[in-house]
Amino acid sequence: MSAIGDRRVDPGLSRNRPHGNVGVLRIAVVVLFLVLGARLVQMQLVDGADYAERSDLNRIIVESVSPTRGLIFDRNGQPLVQNSGSFTALITPGFLPDDPGSRYRLYLYLEDLLGIPALQIEEAVTAAEERGQRDLPLPIARALDRETALMLEQVAADLPGVTLSVEPRRVYPGGPEFSHILGYVGPQSPDEWRVLQEDGYAYNEVVGKVGVEARYEAALRGTPGTSITEVDAQGELITTIERTDPEGGRGILLSIDSDLQRYVYELLINTMGEATTAAAVVMSPVTGEIYAIVSVPTYDNNIFSLPDPAEEYQALLDDPRIPLLHQALSPIAPGSTFKIITAAAALQEGNVTRYTRRDVDSSVLEFIGEDGQPYYFYDWRVHGDIDLVEAISWSSNIYFYMASCGIPQEGIAGLGSNTEQSAIVLGYYARSFGLGQVTGLDIASTESPGVIPSPEWKRRVRSGPLFNPEDRDWYLADTCFMGIGQGDVTATPLQIAVATAAIANGGYLLEPYVTRQILGSDGTLLSTTEPSRERVPVDEEHLAVIRQGMRQSVIDGAARLAALPDTLVAGKTGTAEFVDPEDGETKDRAWFTGFAPYHNPQVVVTVFYDLGVGGTKAAPTAADIMGYFLENVEP
Amino acid sequence: MSRFGVEGSLRAWDRFDAILALTALALVGYGLVLIYSGSLGSYDGPTASLENPVVRQGLFALIAIGAMFIISRFDYHVLLHYAWWLYGASILLLLVLIPIGQTDFGSTRWFALGPIQFQPSEFAKIATILLLARFLSEQGGDARDLRVLGGSLAITAPVLLLVFIQPDLGTTIIFAAIWLGMVVVAGIQRRHMLFFGAVFLAVLPFLWTFTVADYQIERISVLFDAEEDPLDAGYNPIQSQIAVGSGQLLGKGLTNGEQTQLDFLKVKTKDFIFSVLGEELGFVGAMALFALFILLLMRGIRAAQIAGDIPGQLIAAGIVITILMQAYINIAVNLSIFPVTGLPLPFVSQGGSSLLTLFLGLGIIQSIVMRHRAYRQF
Repeated sequence: MSAIGDRRVDPGLSRNRPHGNVGVLRIAVVVLFLVLGARLVQMQLVDGADYAERSDLNRIIVESVSPTRGLIFDRNGQPLVQNSGSFTALITPGFLPDDPGSRYRLYLYLEDLLGIPALQIEEAVTAAEERGQRDLPLPIARALDRETALMLEQVAADLPGVTLSVEPRRVYPGGPEFSHILGYVGPQSPDEWRVLQEDGYAYNEVVGKVGVEARYEAALRGTPGTSITEVDAQGELITTIERTDPEGGRGILLSIDSDLQRYVYELLINTMGEATTAAAVVMSPVTGEIYAIVSVPTYDNNIFSLPDPAEEYQALLDDPRIPLLHQALSPIAPGSTFKIITAAAALQEGNVTRYTRRDVDSSVLEFIGEDGQPYYFYDWRVHGDIDLVEAISWSSNIYFYMASCGIPQEGIAGLGSNTEQSAIVLGYYARSFGLGQVTGLDIASTESPGVIPSPEWKRRVRSGPLFNPEDRDWYLADTCFMGIGQGDVTATPLQIAVATAAIANGGYLLEPYVTRQILGSDGTLLSTTEPSRERVPVDEEHLAVIRQGMRQSVIDGAARLAALPDTLVAGKTGTAEFVDPEDGETKDRAWFTGFAPYHNPQVVVTVFYDLGVGGTKAAPTAADIMGYFLENVEP
Repeated sequence: MSRFGVEGSLRAWDRFDAILALTALALVGYGLVLIYSGSLGSYDGPTASLENPVVRQGLFALIAIGAMFIISRFDYHVLLHYAWWLYGASILLLLVLIPIGQTDFGSTRWFALGPIQFQPSEFAKIATILLLARFLSEQGGDARDLRVLGGSLAITAPVLLLVFIQPDLGTTIIFAAIWLGMVVVAGIQRRHMLFFGAVFLAVLPFLWTFTVADYQIERISVLFDAEEDPLDAGYNPIQSQIAVGSGQLLGKGLTNGEQTQLDFLKVKTKDFIFSVLGEELGFVGAMALFALFILLLMRGIRAAQIAGDIPGQLIAAGIVITILMQAYINIAVNLSIFPVTGLPLPFVSQGGSSLLTLFLGLGIIQSIVMRHRAYRQF
């Protein structure tokens, strides 16, 4: 008989008859399993796909295997950079415990270990999460010492979300004189990351920021490998699913001679005197390769691999001499060095020949301006009756005023049919010699084009509430001052060197470069930089006249101090006047640009000091550099 | 005919609930399969070895089934007769546990008897059920009287507190549920129920702070050593959720669950065995398990329904409640709707002493079923 039957037969007659409320148990069973069932439906059927994805993420780790960054050598194979290890503590916010209390305890633990305040870590993590970078490893402490790194590595397995990475660190053993060339590497800015992640960069991977490091980032970085691995809960490797090895970065062989670079740097420092900044360029007039390019003051690029370079960086930014600025790539009035370009223009245009003589019998030239008033141009001495070669040699201002703007009331023709036209013609030649535009030197830096003014340029930049209407007009004086490299003309020492090279090599404008060869990661030669050159629109016979003038200047002209005992040097001094904004006094900037040997130019040297006289300050320095070069450097 | 004899037991085998026993065996079999899959990563010895968790569990199951048959041959009134002694022994064991028990994961729950772990609270469950059944039936099986209710509470409270201070939140809840279930079956008055509900709500904040503090201490220690505590941590709920959820409808296939096999899941042959099932056998596998449990529990309730006397009914109810709550809490933990407490899944999880207790319970139920006719006649 069934249980149900039993119940029907004798309902509750016996004292022992169970009368309990058993139905409640059935309800409890059904209700509790319905709760579990509903939760299962939600987890497995509704959200199942999400969980499946998380399950995959749990175990498949796709990692980029960073390649070894390429090395940089000088022209003789001297290494200018080394790779060394740098330990960084990383936090991946997405792997941290969800519970704020546990998180904070983890931060406190890291505070003990790393000395980074827990609050600071918390802020950094929160900020990263707000940026939506939950899954990116966030560097929280860089350049850990080896002991701390080892301790962190031991505990990292038990700290969810915390990892230790060994990042390559760049060490620049050459000294600060190479900083402006090499630049440095640093962490990516958020903007850089947006671009670079497309190229497969890891978020915490460093990139070249300036200099050769930045310009040749793609070559130096190499090709990252990938590793796809399956790991267990402890992060232990189970299997490697796929692995492609990284390809090391390319090596770069510079055209820079490190000994020469150091020599020039020290020479400039020792000869600066009152000057605060100085620059020098040593380049080949044959290929355009740079043997040395020095900027004073400089900075130590090793500070950028410090854990927190902010303080040192701020000190650099606060320095009024702007050490981060490459002086050889910064434009300033070229002064009389510009006369070689004026001379080239005048010879090619035909308003002056080798033998055109002007009698500079006074150091003052009076002329009647556009307003009918007399104006005065000054020369630095009475040159007497001189021709073009002598004018270059002695750097006569009045001769080059006449050659550029002409003196209308004396019937002396300028470069063009009128004042404005003369300026436009001169501007054309200046640009042909590479001025007013960046040279394209393969250093990622703030190279400025400088200014080659023109009537149109003046109208444009002198507009606005700060200027009077007559400030926009182009005057005779504008053309004249332009002819001697003053007024609004600015050029960088590198541009002057390139222009000098074009005169020295018979009319070829070269594209300067510091990278001579690209090497494979195993040191094999991959490519050699092909010199790139362009003909300047000046005939060789005219350039020969200018070279002769420059040679004469060293023999018995303004550049006598550039002479060397065994080598024929040619050069042009420059002494650019400027008004010191601090004391209102008129002061000089010292320039020299020249080449040697005279008959077979192998080297162009351009020297600049922000204070001094070209003939006495820049010329002897250039001579020392040329002497050192010809003796020690294999072109 | 002696009241406590075994006469007529040959006839009584006809009434042996084979469905109940087979369902329990099916659950054990299901468990063996899951233990096999869950231990692949940790056990790589020979198949036929006592070290093999599957073999061990199978062996324990055989012993436990034997025990079930033996117990079912005895009249459950024998056990009722000794209920006070059994109860006293449980209290004693729980007290002794405080100074000499094995502390695992910050909780003291075990005695180590050589290679076997003995958990006094398992034994205390049976003893408490027996004593509550005896006490309530001696009072006419009627919990309407407040004094009876108070007496039953006085019986339950000492064991409950001793378990609570271990601390073992899960088992504490089981004891509370046993008491509540049994007095409900015994007919508690609604106003008394409301009163106890109010008292419960009043102590809840205290309970909550106590347990949450405990929970966090474990979670924090886990932070620094993930191996230290498989029972309690933010880690385990997340991993079990991922395991169960990623199983989806049909599961990833036995031995194919990444969460299980790559060791993301902890104590996966014990507390988190349901996650293994969820991941590898999916929703369908889970529903099969639910069906087995519901069938088993309904057969247990049937035993309570047809029991020949009040103590029989109350004992059966108490055992059903124990199995139900233990299964519910264990699965709820796996599904992250209950904090991690460390309760095994009845019949399925690896563990000898749990299995033995469960089959002892089933043996008692069988004894009740087999004798319901006999006692009906008195």
